Amino acid sequence: MHKIIFTLLFIFQFAATKGQTQSIDLSGQWGFQTDVMDFRRGSLSPRYNHKLQDTITLPGITDDYKIGYKVPYKYIDRLTRKYEYMGPAWYQRDIEIPKEWGGKRIFMYFERTHWLSSIYVDTKEVSKIDYISVPHNHDLTGFVTPGKTHRFTVCIDNRFQYNTHKWNHAHTEFTQINWNGILGEIRLAAVDPVYIDDMQVYPNIADNSIKVKIQINNYTGKDVTGTATFTIKGENYTTKKEVTVNGKSSVFSFEEAILLGKNIKLWDEFNPNVYSITCQLNTDAGKTKYRHEKSVDFGMREVKQGKNHLLLNNRPIHLRGTVENAVFPKTGYAPVDDVEWERILLIIKDYGMNHVRFHSWCPPKAAFRMADKLGIYFEIEMPMWGRDAEVDEARYNFFRLEMRAILKEYGNHPSFVLYCNGNEITGNFDFIEELTATGRELDNRHLFSGSTARTRVKSDQYYVSQQTNKGSVKVYEGLPYTDWDRNKESDVDVPVISHEAGQRCVYPDFHEISKYADSPVEARNFEVFRDMLEENGMLDQAHDFFKASGALTVVEYKAVIEALLRSSKSAGFQLLSINDFPGQGYAPVGILDPFWDSKGLVTAEKFRESCAPTVALLRYQKSSFFNDEIFTGKAEVYNFSKAGIKNAKIKWALTDQSGMTLKKGDLKTQNIGNNGVFPVGAFSFDFKGITSPQKLTVQLSVNDNIRNSWNIWVYPKNEKLMTSTDDVLYTTVYDDKAKQQLAQGRKVVLLPLPNKVKGRKSTFHNHFWNPIMFAWPPMTIGCLIHDKEPVFDDFVTSYHTDWQWWDILENARVIEMHDTPKELRPFLQVIDAFDNNKKLGIGFEANVNGGKLLVLAVDTQKKMEQRPATRQLLESVDKYVKSDKFNPQVKVEELFIQSFLMK
Amino acid sequence: MRKTYLFVIPLFFLTGVLHSQEIQMSRSASLEQVYGDVTESENLLPFNDLNMEFGYVLYQAEIKVKPEETLLELENVRDYAVVYLNDKLQGTVTDDHKKLTLNISPGTYTLKLYAENIGRITYGPEILDNSRGLFGSININGAEIENWTIIPLGIKSCDVNSLQFSSQNTNGAPSFHKGYFDITEPEETYLNISGWGMGEVWINGAYLGSYWEEEKQQSIQIPANILVKGKNEVVIFDLKNNKQELLRLSGKPLFK
Repeated sequence: MHKIIFTLLFIFQFAATKGQTQSIDLSGQWGFQTDVMDFRRGSLSPRYNHKLQDTITLPGITDDYKIGYKVPYKYIDRLTRKYEYMGPAWYQRDIEIPKEWGGKRIFMYFERTHWLSSIYVDTKEVSKIDYISVPHNHDLTGFVTPGKTHRFTVCIDNRFQYNTHKWNHAHTEFTQINWNGILGEIRLAAVDPVYIDDMQVYPNIADNSIKVKIQINNYTGKDVTGTATFTIKGENYTTKKEVTVNGKSSVFSFEEAILLGKNIKLWDEFNPNVYSITCQLNTDAGKTKYRHEKSVDFGMREVKQGKNHLLLNNRPIHLRGTVENAVFPKTGYAPVDDVEWERILLIIKDYGMNHVRFHSWCPPKAAFRMADKLGIYFEIEMPMWGRDAEVDEARYNFFRLEMRAILKEYGNHPSFVLYCNGNEITGNFDFIEELTATGRELDNRHLFSGSTARTRVKSDQYYVSQQTNKGSVKVYEGLPYTDWDRNKESDVDVPVISHEAGQRCVYPDFHEISKYADSPVEARNFEVFRDMLEENGMLDQAHDFFKASGALTVVEYKAVIEALLRSSKSAGFQLLSINDFPGQGYAPVGILDPFWDSKGLVTAEKFRESCAPTVALLRYQKSSFFNDEIFTGKAEVYNFSKAGIKNAKIKWALTDQSGMTLKKGDLKTQNIGNNGVFPVGAFSFDFKGITSPQKLTVQLSVNDNIRNSWNIWVYPKNEKLMTSTDDVLYTTVYDDKAKQQLAQGRKVVLLPLPNKVKGRKSTFHNHFWNPIMFAWPPMTIGCLIHDKEPVFDDFVTSYHTDWQWWDILENARVIEMHDTPKELRPFLQVIDAFDNNKKLGIGFEANVNGGKLLVLAVDTQKKMEQRPATRQLLESVDKYVKSDKFNPQVKVEELFIQSFLMK
Repeated sequence: MRKTYLFVIPLFFLTGVLHSQEIQMSRSASLEQVYGDVTESENLLPFNDLNMEFGYVLYQAEIKVKPEETLLELENVRDYAVVYLNDKLQGTVTDDHKKLTLNISPGTYTLKLYAENIGRITYGPEILDNSRGLFGSININGAEIENWTIIPLGIKSCDVNSLQFSSQNTNGAPSFHKGYFDITEPEETYLNISGWGMGEVWINGAYLGSYWEEEKQQSIQIPANILVKGKNEVVIFDLKNNKQELLRLSGKPLFK
């Protein structure tokens, strides 16, 4: 009995003294003081070890406690931060260093901070770190005495430590704010003086092995010998290997190849098998024994540069991604917890994507962890943008260190597939080549690229761009036909990913204003836009503007994404973006809001019809037809899924708006390959028997689970148009005859030639990105169609525009209608830029001089034989004006009519 | 086994020939063949006023030069222009380098500025001014040059098959050049454009891509499917006529 107790005591004692890492959680209350004058460091306060007079709870940021300058303004180009703070801020805590930590290395660890952290132990500054993408791990050994209580004063300085571009998403006010604080894990930790500083795992899928590169720091000053025991664990998998270790210097490394056997599973988006590897290091130097343990996650995967695609485990993959810009208005900073990243990445998967590009920033560890688990491919960048590559040695050195730190901290994660230095870089490309070549040399687990969308460098292994030297690879907008792609332009020496696709502006949803109640930022710009709209008498239309422009963005993104899926020689696309971008003028281009909540514009299920591992595609020549024409569709299947599809039953059908099937057919049952885009046959049909205008839908399905559809419109020939009668005068000019007709109380349809109308050029597309940053034409955000008005009785349309509107809107002029009575609402209303909010229209009706006037600023002369939809609109107008329903109520002065017409 | 071995060697040999082949660009075609509608204007007009989103435009004016050394100053260059006097290359200007000293004797000259623009500015302080090409003023020794002849150049969209080529040289003015190369088996290769200035390339009538000597990238990929067995034609347009007469094929992409 005594013997047993003695043994137990011995074991306990051993574990306590020679134990592994021990740590003290430092989350909770800290002393706090601001230092907006940046004087404390040079003052006498540190010398007197002054106790800070305020408190703050960490993890957190100053904004959480309303610290800083209370912003009285309404920023127009971004969300407004409620309390701004940029400068040094001081955080303090008295901590007793455990006596048992004698002889150990002692670190203070901050998982994420911004941007310089420095630590004072009692009165002396002892450590400074200025990484922005990785944790700060301060080595305090030698500055603290185990068994003694020290006062730790931490200065966090979120001012720009280097002259980097202020838009870099790692620290921009545009998206996440340039916060001051400490986030994630905050701890004091002790390890034995012989410890694993770094463990990098290099998978070799050819022989199911890994090469583990270990770096050991040895602070004993003596030779050490011992063992390293590796334990690899995964689902239904465990293996162990022990090796002997010895080293003399203060830092030594070794590599060990470990065979994992046939039961180890590969990692990819469909099979996100994550393994952990733990290295237990037991060493002794003379009589003293040391122990340390380190674990990292890894996945068995290799990424290589293929011809046009990335090769993951030797299989071509295609990236369907979104650009993530550190948009986190709820907190003002990027989440560091698994829960929030899991939510975001599950949303991305739900919308059929497999890829995220982190634009000019690198997310915290939790993002990688969740991407590993869910199977998402990341592109990681440094805070580098624009002129950041112009010569500046201090800045260059920051980037050199930052890149190495990113590779070391996150390099094991299988989701970390792509590395790029930064966004749209200009300056010295010898430096960019240096970084890129160095990265490749350091770590072959990722593909490297110099810069997005700028000068190519020799070491590029892929290229994200809007153009190559073969031409444009960008797709910002759709077309009313689909028989096109970006193959030729994407076929260069490296895989090409289409840069920042989409970017179609939606009118803001003012309901979002209330979502910012508990945020460090608020949408005061929305208040300005809303007030402007109210002043212009259209506040009641705000939600309609949002819905109509949003629906158009959905139409555009379907076309954009499908064009890039048809591009079999493209390595993928990065949509900008699935969520809104709340800076750079405010770009509400997402189908999700900045909180990653759906705007209700399209369901994930519907979105996946065009964006998923397998998508049915259709190439066709146009969307609007006369009823004596033939529709021909060439079907393709985009398949980058787990496997090819055996005996695929491919069906097409033509349905009408009630859902009734008008025509259908089968394509040849066939085997469809994987990792490519496969033509599967063509079909055609006529529109015989369709005499009234109709919106029809072409459906295409592969087996029962893959389906997609496209809207087309069929119209009668409408040979006779714009026929004047005694009662109705058609005219392209507002002349005496027209005036007379009105004065007689009769009807006039004014169809001015667009080049005779003042005002903006009309276009089908909604504005690119946003009208504040890119103040170039069109400065309009789509159209709101007053589809319930009788003028549209014979024209099939929804409240929003779809491809049938193409030939109408591309041949029209936008009339500035601000000076008309508030009650006047154009039936074909154009949505103005949200920072202008004036009333705009292409078609309206009014009572002028007692007569009834309908104005439609659409060209009625040019190639009318090719414009079935315009013909049908004119036909619908004709029926309307010749009926009793045409009875405009709002009176408009003749002066207004003259005001928008050119002499 | 031995059979395969014997087969591999000649194939390798042929590949080598294709990838290092030199192409004599012995025929040329004048730029006048792709002139668009001429606009006469007292002042410079940006591309925007010519309804051009991007591409090439020639700005031409008569100038009288008095002193020996002459300073040409441009107010705005978006994005690049090559300066010729009487069809003799003087140098290039960009938005960062808008001055050029002309070493010429006094006299009357035809000043030709060939401007190139690749699209909108999406970054930096000029973001709200998206004029393209040359605009504002151009001064020579401080005096503004007036009365411009402005000619859009339909280069990217041109049908190179309809250009008239001859063996005459083009006096160093920007022009199209044509040459031929033979291949036994179409396979992917690269066109080495090093030495050439800035412009566009077509192979067998199909547009291939663009190049610029200032880029690190010095080759354009040629997909196998636009090549034919036997004789292939390459047409290159050079805005800054570097008086090159040779193009080369390369087995791998080239970077400076």
